[in-house]
Amino acid sequence: MARIGVFVCHCGENISATVDVKKVAEAASRIPGVAHSVEYKYMCSDPGQQMIRNAIREKNLTGVVVAACSPRMHEPTFRRACAEAGLNPFLCEMANIREHCSWVHEKSEATTHKAFDIVRTLVAKVKRNKALLPIKVPVTKTALVLGGGIAGIQASLDIANSGHKVILVEKEPSIGGHMSQLSETFPTLDCSQCILTPRMVEVAQHPNITLHSYSELESMDGFIGNFKVRIRKKARSLDEKLCTGCGLCVQKCPSKKISSEFDAGLGLRPAIYVPFPQAVPNKPVIDREHCTYYRTGKCRLCEKICPTQAIRFDQEDEIIEADIGAVVVATGFDIKHGDFFPEYGYGKYKDVIDGLQFERLASASGPTLGEIRRPSDGQVPQTVVFVACAGSRDPAKGIEYCSKICCMYTAKHAMLYKHKVHHGKPFVFYMDIRAGGKMYEEFVRRAMEEDGVQYIRSRVSRIYERGGKLVVKGADTLLGSRPLEIEADLVVLATAGVAQAGAEQLAQRLHVSFDAHKFYAEAHPKLRPVETNTAGIFLAGACQAPKDIPESVAQASGAAAKVAILFSQSELVREPLIAVVDRQAPPLYSSCVGCFLCQPSCPYQAIEKEEIRDRDGQLIKTIAKVNPGLCQGCGTCVALCRTKSIDIQGFSHEQVYAEVLALLNRGEDNV
Amino acid sequence: MEDLRNKARELLAAKAVQVVVGYGRGTGASRRAVFIQSAAEAGELLFDNACRQNLAVYLMKPEVRKLGKMALVAIPATLRTILQLASENQIQDLELLALVPDASGAVTQLATFAAIEAHVVLQDNDLSAAEKGELQKYEIMGMEQRRQFWEEHFSRCLKCYACRAACPLCYCSRCTVECNQPQWIPVPAHDLGNLEWNIMRAMHLAGRCINCGDCSRACPVGIPLHLLNQKLISEVYTHFNSRSGMAAKADHAMSTFKPNDAEDFIR
Ligand SMILES: Cc1cc2nc3c(=O)[nH]c(=O)nc-3n(C[C@H](O)[C@H](O)[C@H](O)COP(=O)(O)OP(=O)(O)OC[C@H]3O[C@@H](n4cnc5c(N)ncnc54)[C@H](O)[C@@H]3O)c2cc1C
Ligand code: SF4
Ligand code: SF4
Ligand code: SF4
Repeated sequence: MARIGVFVCHCGENISATVDVKKVAEAASRIPGVAHSVEYKYMCSDPGQQMIRNAIREKNLTGVVVAACSPRMHEPTFRRACAEAGLNPFLCEMANIREHCSWVHEKSEATTHKAFDIVRTLVAKVKRNKALLPIKVPVTKTALVLGGGIAGIQASLDIANSGHKVILVEKEPSIGGHMSQLSETFPTLDCSQCILTPRMVEVAQHPNITLHSYSELESMDGFIGNFKVRIRKKARSLDEKLCTGCGLCVQKCPSKKISSEFDAGLGLRPAIYVPFPQAVPNKPVIDREHCTYYRTGKCRLCEKICPTQAIRFDQEDEIIEADIGAVVVATGFDIKHGDFFPEYGYGKYKDVIDGLQFERLASASGPTLGEIRRPSDGQVPQTVVFVACAGSRDPAKGIEYCSKICCMYTAKHAMLYKHKVHHGKPFVFYMDIRAGGKMYEEFVRRAMEEDGVQYIRSRVSRIYERGGKLVVKGADTLLGSRPLEIEADLVVLATAGVAQAGAEQLAQRLHVSFDAHKFYAEAHPKLRPVETNTAGIFLAGACQAPKDIPESVAQASGAAAKVAILFSQSELVREPLIAVVDRQAPPLYSSCVGCFLCQPSCPYQAIEKEEIRDRDGQLIKTIAKVNPGLCQGCGTCVALCRTKSIDIQGFSHEQVYAEVLALLNRGEDNV
Repeated sequence: MEDLRNKARELLAAKAVQVVVGYGRGTGASRRAVFIQSAAEAGELLFDNACRQNLAVYLMKPEVRKLGKMALVAIPATLRTILQLASENQIQDLELLALVPDASGAVTQLATFAAIEAHVVLQDNDLSAAEKGELQKYEIMGMEQRRQFWEEHFSRCLKCYACRAACPLCYCSRCTVECNQPQWIPVPAHDLGNLEWNIMRAMHLAGRCINCGDCSRACPVGIPLHLLNQKLISEVYTHFNSRSGMAAKADHAMSTFKPNDAEDFIR
């Protein structure tokens, strides 16, 4: 016979101001099976918890209902209190009469009735609760970091320095990401390469880090602490162990007129190339699409010239398998390119460029060696227009969000231009200036006040060519929307920051969710910003949303700390609120008929096959089995199973049905 | 017909199968299932237009399965059932033979799922013109009219579960209607219980029913159960471009998610 204890909390006045808590406790005492029912001002306080512990011992309670706030708030508190008194914590339930009742209703009879209804349903449920034990799963203490931009680099170093192994996978031939392309960085204007390269080298030399560049994640299975990954190491056409990075092949390669990705299309590179001089690893890769040999079957000059015979034309992609305990996704972002702005002539006029291209022009290692010369004729532009929010905050373009970094880098660009071309005239077209951040507002002010950058609050309606000049049309909204026109020699569009092209496919491989713009979704926008909804997979950097370097680095260290926390234990303890397939007495063994329609429905691939055999090893039946490490207790399979053979522990059919019935069959046991 | 009988004799004599499940003489002009276990009995086999039962239902009956490897006289729906059951992991390849008589009486023997699949794609698996016509009449009814329509029909339901016994896809060893903890479906044959039972039966066949029509034929009080199933078949086909019983390994409309699935009903 059930002996349930009901503990009604006033929550100071949060509940008692609208709910007659005395009445609720009194009515609850009359529910069959309730052996004890009291109210108290603060159940979560020490004396409150003591009341629960004492009642469990003295009244021999078999279940507890705490009618108070949301279980999100205090379920762990009360479950712990129950456990301390010797009651299995999963025999304790919370009836949420605060968020679900007192906070959303006026003081009235009906409010008290509703509070009691909530208590009654939970009493009906808790009578059917079963004692549950936490689940333990082992942890493989190796982390996989995807993406070798600054975020991936930082996360790798932090995890490696906490004593754990890291496998860093970068799809490009070198790590470094967008930061390696930048000239100088706001708000301090220090040289990007100078602060980045030491970290890249540290990654390459760290004994705990294995770097797979020019590689991509092929597939991933498993669950937190126990992932299995396959990594595709793309053929570099080169034996990395033999190659010394001398660069002779790069110098001698005859097909040299290939647009350089690193220089954002403003420079050229050969078919065998290292993306930039400080690349890590500093080993070339043959671009098979453009290589003369792969195209025509003739050449092999690099092979002849290579002093260590490192070139391998017949090299194939290699698949590397690894066991992983946690994943940090740091695959970064991209900026909008192409024919996105026909009205701005982007892609049509050579001198309408994007922010990354300007970075390359301003960079000492760039195609112009740091001199600002426009792409069309190599002239130094006398007037430059910078357009902020090119695409961002523009629902008509399908991008309603703010790309966050553009205001700052536009100010930086205008400043760098002015520093290099003293008599030049920089104009910035902007919607609003968003310079929230340490030293950021000051930085933008400096651009305006010290460097004389002229800011015009206007959107740009059109850009077109007229007599060798680019005419930028807008309307100054601070001067009564007076139409204005500027004749520029160069236009720089701060195009919107967008997700990487392959973001969606990678998300599907990892089973993480993403938002409408394909940026990866954090588990909670405020309280869990570095976790994904898939346990054991964390986020760092601009793959989650456009962000600047300090933010990317901070998030990367946060993700690394989460990984280190995970790796600080040898076993993981998880709540047992997961799905289980029933077992029955023979000849049924289980009501599961093994149709396995549940299997594809599980978003976490948690459903496996289990064979039931007799003592001679003869197969009796194959039924579904839920992997307790993988199951997240979402309940999809439960809804799908025709025979109702799957139950969520703690939310079983029986429990939920009893709750619903208790609500429907309002008996005489009322307030 | 002789072709079929000879085939059965041959298979049984060679011990290629232990039982041939086919059609024999029933009451009046009707045909019923016969279980031929020796070459001598093969003369009982018949095949004509009155052979309408979906014999694949016996694939899932333990007492028939116990007899050994089976050859099944198959009409189009039977073949779809075999593939559907295979896709639900209920039967294994090479576990049975299908014998498909054509209009002239010649018999094609299909020994593998692959052979059955190749045969099934060639047959017409869509609802027939008559079935579509009947469904259209049903579909023009308004919601209230439909409710009345079913309430009237279901009020006659005896909860005899003949439809379930006749359905080859109702093979669960413990049907939900037999769960009593909790008791999802009320036991008595009253209006609510009948409604719940019939809706549940239909929903459990969504994306699975292969449209043999045996449920309606089995129903002793003439409830047009096939209408519910056919409505679901057409919905699943229009929304997910999926038809059951077409392949031995198939993604089931109700249990798979594809990124390009129509989601216009989720807002
Ligand atoms: C024009 C411009 C100027 C900027 N100026 C500044 C500045 O002055 N100061 C500042 O703080 N910030 C600046 N930023 C922002 C800065 O670039 C980002 O904050 C930073 O690059 C984010 O780092 P990340 O590692 O998250 O992403 P990324 O730099 O994008 O790196 C991601 C890495 O992951 C790799 N990758 C992608 N997909 C995969 C995959 N599937 N598998 C494996 N690897 C993958 C990529 O190749 C890349 O190496 C600027 C940005 C732009 C566009
Ligand atoms: S084969 Fe010729 S074109 Fe190709 S990488 Fe070598 S030298 Fe360059
Ligand atoms: S409850 Fe959800 S996660 Fe668990 S097995 Fe079922 S479908 Fe998979
Ligand atoms: S529901 Fe009816 S038509 Fe469908 S498979 Fe079952 S018996 Fe055949």
